[in-house]
Amino acid sequence: MPNADSSNHNTMETANETIKQAPLLEARNLTKVYEDGVKALDNLNIKVMPGEIYAMLGGNGAGKTTTINIFLDFIQPTSGNAFINGIDSNSDPLEAKKNVAFVSENVQLYPNFTALQNIDFFVRLGGKSNYKRSDYENALTRVGLQSEAFDKKLRDFSKGMRQKCGIAIAILKNAPAILLDEPTSGLDPKAGKEFTKLIGELRDEGKAILMSTHDIFRAKEISDHVGILNNGELVAQRTNAELKGVNLEQLYVEYMAGYMEETNQNLVLTNDLN
Amino acid sequence: MIKLLIEKELKNILLSPKFAATFLVCSILILTSVYIGVQEYHTAVAQYEANQQIATQDIAQATNWGSVRNQVHRKPNPMQVFVSGLHFDVGRVSRISGSQDVKLIRSPYSDETLFALFRFIDLTFIVQVVLSLFAILFTYDAINGERENGTLKLAFANSVSRASYLISKFAGVWIGLIVPLLIPILIALLVTTLMGVPISGGDWASISGFIGLSILYVTFFIGIGLLVSSITRKSSLSFLLLLVIWIGGVLILPRMSVMASGQIVEVESIAQLEAKQEAYQKARWDEYSSTISKTWRERSQEMEGMDEAERQAYRDEREWDWLEEDDAARKQVQLDITDNNRKLIEETMNQKKLQERVAFSLARISPASSFRLAAMNIAGTDIDMKSRYEESMRGYRDDFTAYTQKKQAESGTRNGFNINIDSDSGVKIDFGRDDQTLDTSEMPQYSAPVLTAGSTLSKSVLDFGLLGIFIILTFAGTFVSFLRYDMR
Amino acid sequence: MFKLIFIKELKEILQSSRFTISFAVCSLLIILSFFMGAQNYLSGKAQYEAAKQENYNQIAANTEWMSVNHSIMLPPQPLMALVTGISNDIGRDIEVRGRGELSAQNTRFNDEPIFAIFRFMDLEFIFGVILSLFAIIFAYDAINGEKVSGTLKLCFSNSVSRASFIAGKLAGSFVGLSIALIIPLLIGCALLPVLGVNLSSDEWLRLGIILISGLAYFGLFLALTIGISAMTNKPSNSFLIGLVVWIFAVLITPRASVLISGRMVEVPNVDEITSEKNRYRFQLFADDRPKMADFSVPEGTEPHLVMQEFSKFMNELSEERARKTEIFEEKINEQYINKKRQQERLALSLSRISPTSVFSLATTELAGTSLGLQNRYMDSAQDYQQVYNDFMTEKTGSGGMTGFRMIIRSSDDSGEEPETIDASELPEFEFQKATLSSAANRSLIDLGLLILFNVVFFGGAFFAFLKYDLR
Repeated sequence: MPNADSSNHNTMETANETIKQAPLLEARNLTKVYEDGVKALDNLNIKVMPGEIYAMLGGNGAGKTTTINIFLDFIQPTSGNAFINGIDSNSDPLEAKKNVAFVSENVQLYPNFTALQNIDFFVRLGGKSNYKRSDYENALTRVGLQSEAFDKKLRDFSKGMRQKCGIAIAILKNAPAILLDEPTSGLDPKAGKEFTKLIGELRDEGKAILMSTHDIFRAKEISDHVGILNNGELVAQRTNAELKGVNLEQLYVEYMAGYMEETNQNLVLTNDLN
Repeated sequence: MIKLLIEKELKNILLSPKFAATFLVCSILILTSVYIGVQEYHTAVAQYEANQQIATQDIAQATNWGSVRNQVHRKPNPMQVFVSGLHFDVGRVSRISGSQDVKLIRSPYSDETLFALFRFIDLTFIVQVVLSLFAILFTYDAINGERENGTLKLAFANSVSRASYLISKFAGVWIGLIVPLLIPILIALLVTTLMGVPISGGDWASISGFIGLSILYVTFFIGIGLLVSSITRKSSLSFLLLLVIWIGGVLILPRMSVMASGQIVEVESIAQLEAKQEAYQKARWDEYSSTISKTWRERSQEMEGMDEAERQAYRDEREWDWLEEDDAARKQVQLDITDNNRKLIEETMNQKKLQERVAFSLARISPASSFRLAAMNIAGTDIDMKSRYEESMRGYRDDFTAYTQKKQAESGTRNGFNINIDSDSGVKIDFGRDDQTLDTSEMPQYSAPVLTAGSTLSKSVLDFGLLGIFIILTFAGTFVSFLRYDMR
Repeated sequence: MFKLIFIKELKEILQSSRFTISFAVCSLLIILSFFMGAQNYLSGKAQYEAAKQENYNQIAANTEWMSVNHSIMLPPQPLMALVTGISNDIGRDIEVRGRGELSAQNTRFNDEPIFAIFRFMDLEFIFGVILSLFAIIFAYDAINGEKVSGTLKLCFSNSVSRASFIAGKLAGSFVGLSIALIIPLLIGCALLPVLGVNLSSDEWLRLGIILISGLAYFGLFLALTIGISAMTNKPSNSFLIGLVVWIFAVLITPRASVLISGRMVEVPNVDEITSEKNRYRFQLFADDRPKMADFSVPEGTEPHLVMQEFSKFMNELSEERARKTEIFEEKINEQYINKKRQQERLALSLSRISPTSVFSLATTELAGTSLGLQNRYMDSAQDYQQVYNDFMTEKTGSGGMTGFRMIIRSSDDSGEEPETIDASELPEFEFQKATLSSAANRSLIDLGLLILFNVVFFGGAFFAFLKYDLR
């Protein structure tokens, strides 16, 4: 890792220790209603602090990807705001996106490019142009890609290998915030474990990570906060500490099934939490 | 099992945007093309009829048979609506006269260059170029696309035989393509008859032949599409390969073969041929005029030493023989010229035939050429149309000149006028008696050459056969390669 | 940012198998079309020279200028072989007489119908039909393909503006593919002198403009397809739409416009006009016949003087007839030509909806093979007719030999062969090509339209992408 990175890392860490700082990712009263009248998000509020992992849980169509899309300015919220490092990503997307890295579900890169070519392009696109080839190689090694694959074209890569490249890109961009859209879907358990480990490392470096996932166990394992979305509504939000001893799967199923929070009185309403 | 598979294929195709686009494009193209073709045909017929009328009027205006200007026209052929072939490129009128060889001039395109700039697109072109392209679009991912989707695995997780799968695949695509082809064609045929194009029984046979040919051609492209799709793993690759095959086969090979044969076999240009003909003609007439003046000199030498009365008597006695002698000599010249012209034309024609044979043999490597050549043969707008017409017009010219000569001999009128120069009486111009009108009712009428079904068949059987062989080859290839296809 | 995307686009194109295969095919096609064009030109030229020589020999065998049958031919030109236009559809040979209307006969396709069956593969065809199709094949998934593969999202998770992305994309694909086209085009150009086809600097310039407009035409199809790709979500859909657009632009619009104008402007039947002219000539001759019959000379005039008198008399009559015919024909032609021009103008204006026709018109105009070729050839021939007429009048005392030719051979008893004429005295026919400036002038509107189409399609693609749903 280059020097700039480690110094950055350090400041983050000290900032983390002093506790009181602004959230790196914040959804404030986000509401999205599509043209066809479907309400994808309903008054969503999320905050992700530096050095925190926030996992959004929810079924298909719950609004997880919509949230990420709004953060990335792929769609405009009907009301409310999404802030990355305090910058409204819909009013100044270019500035906001400097502070975020993104790994999509089932990463697909340019099939005719080699791993290194792909990484080179996307990292430069992320505004980092002073890396050397060895930096790329280090990053790829760190995410666990075999060195034989570095100069192979992406079209011959398996899903797991592509995902590793995607994470390497995100690492190299070295943005304070990271958005992960279903990052572990379709990965084998070993790759999933490796991935979890990596995310943990990134969190320890002080990144703020917002991920959407179906994987309840992994979410519980690594996240600092878990939010459960149903039909665009954040129906429950727990800290890692609160989840200790709680059967998250049961909680999840209950919320998905439409159970209200009263059924479990030691849980607090989401909105009250803030 | 097959029924289920075919049903799935059909549903899959009929509901796809591909099918909708194909149907739409085919319908628009075919209907516009046939509509334009019918309009063109009507214009051509109107022109043809007007021209015939003009020709008879012109003949009626003439006052003696020698000055009749006759010309005959190529008759529009209803089949040109579907297969324009060489109709627009070959001359449509030839002068009929004893002193000139038959030659079709004034092609529709040379008269209306505007139409030549953006050429007419006939049904043959649509099938040859557009439908083959669609056939590729329908088949390039037929097999490897299903592999990429994973549906191939899913299907073969059941007890399905590869053969039945392939057959149903073919049947589905085939129906999916033939329907967008046949429905607009049938509508177009209906439109054609409704718009008053006279389609004879023979034409109906030709049309069915053409439709059959088109189906064969499309089938071939389905075959090659399936073949390539079954020997490649990725649909993006098979698409590119097929596109290359399509461009090569449909656009390049036919053109290149003609150009190559033009390089291999040299053929004299018509201008060269005509200059040669003319040179011979001139030389022959020069020879004639010098022999005839020699004869005249000899005759006057014979009369030398006679007095005026003797001379007159001598002359009166022999005048008829002399005339006949001179006439025979003149006729011989004309005969020689005609013979020489024929010979020269034949030589050129033979070279041309050779060139054509070379070109077509090369071109037939591509089924697109076979299709085109067979379609033109069926429709009678093929490469021999010109020579066919010119041949029949030559026959007519012989009849016509024989007739006019007979008529002239009967009426005693000559063509043009006679100039007599005599040192005693000076110059006399004599026009003969020609203040009559001509009775043209007995004049021989030109009738267009008729193509027999047998000759059409024998000419197109090779191309039908070739298409059949190509189809069998591609299907056999697909079958073999699919039996060994790696399903993963 | 633009530069980065631009270079990525270039690299991506150059590394794809799609590019490799298409590049190979395009190069082959382009070089082949240059090669074929050159061969075609050379064999056409050889034929032309041979026919000209044959014509010369035939003339040289004459003993009197009176009996000369002279034909002129349209000289083949290199650009004609590269962009054939209507050059194969117009009559190439004209039999020149001192007076009267000239008619060009023997079109190439009529003489050699074998070439008409599959037609030629010239640059207009390569660009107009094949390369435009290639543009669609290259670009149909330019945007929506990236969306399907997710790279679009990944790109825009960075601080990248849409404008620089699409601009990089457009510029990158255009430059990448253009370079791929320019290489075989340059090889083709270099091939011409190697094969023995020498172009004048004027012709090089024309060829240069033709090739540049070809690239512009390719570019507009590229931009159009990228635009379509930026308005659809599935590559298969954008390909189909592109194909339909291609079929309409390349195949349907040009023909439909000709058809419509043919319906809207009625042009009189050519044959009727020809027959009317014939009848008029016939009538004039009939009117002159009594005069001819009345011809007489004082008794006892020497025979050769009688002949002189007589041919002078006949010439006067035929001159008079020729004058009247000319006036009549001019009148009748004018109406016909006006109608025809009107029809052409309408057809061409309508056809210009399609960039393909715009491109065809621009290139054929520059190559000198557009509709104007026929008129120019006839004009040149008419100028030459004047020269020829003067020459023949000087040689024979009469130039107007409309339908009547009288050769008088005075035979003396010596039996000596009369001497042949010196055919080299005959003035040469020179075909007046349209000057570069006039050709450029006439193609200006089409070149302008080509630029306009480019602006519209590039702009369209640009703005379509600004509104594109990136998800």
